[in-house]
Amino acid sequence: MPELTEISEDVRIYEFCVLYPSNLSQKEESTLLKDVETLIEEQGGKQVSKDMWGKRGLAYRIKGNDEGNYVVYHYELDPSKIQELDESLRITKNVLRHMIVKPPKGYEITKFSASYETWLKERETEEDRRKKEKEARLAKQVADKAKRQVKKAAKVASEEKEEKPEADKKKISEELDKLISDDDLDI
Amino acid sequence: MSKKGNRRTDPKDKKCPYCEKNIKYIDWKDYPAMKPFIDYFGNIMKRYYTGVCLKHQKMLKNSVERARFMGMMAYRK
Repeated sequence: MPELTEISEDVRIYEFCVLYPSNLSQKEESTLLKDVETLIEEQGGKQVSKDMWGKRGLAYRIKGNDEGNYVVYHYELDPSKIQELDESLRITKNVLRHMIVKPPKGYEITKFSASYETWLKERETEEDRRKKEKEARLAKQVADKAKRQVKKAAKVASEEKEEKPEADKKKISEELDKLISDDDLDI
Repeated sequence: MSKKGNRRTDPKDKKCPYCEKNIKYIDWKDYPAMKPFIDYFGNIMKRYYTGVCLKHQKMLKNSVERARFMGMMAYRK
């Protein structure tokens, strides 16, 4: 995309964004877009770019709409006519929200309609990857725990085994000693 | 050095993620660029936790508010 450069001093580049409901018929939609474009062009605007975002879910309900379509225009326009345009866009039928922004110097026009979709796909794959990693980590933890438990059980069992015979031996030897040392014993 | 400076080193260690990428302007239409600095409830996260520099935090605030107005982001989840 070419970088924005203002040609003359009395003309600036402005960004127009319009949000309209997604449940409009095709005819209504085309008339609305035409209305907006003619409205700006009547004031001496020259179109630089047009970006149709298509249907997108809204973060909150606006006038009973959960979904809306976005259009982003870039126009070369005389700054004195912005206020008038703002007013007339507010009155335009079927426009839920509109915004006029003056992009800063050196702003590059990027089409967000395509990049958003790629981002969505990438995000899905990333989420999948994270999920898999988490599952793998959990599985490893469980396996480790099971191993540790088995080891512990084995250790305890072996200790018990080792201890018992020793104690038995001691007891037996003690008893034997007693028997031997017993004077009253006669065989 | 005071004890306090030694203990709390993390906010100073963080570097502005926008500065590292050399971003000059945060576009309100660029949702993926703003998303990491928004919490679950839709609030802009504090600079203390994200490490964003003041210049970019102001820019971020501006663009998030624009995105909220246009229905791209939630005011409150």
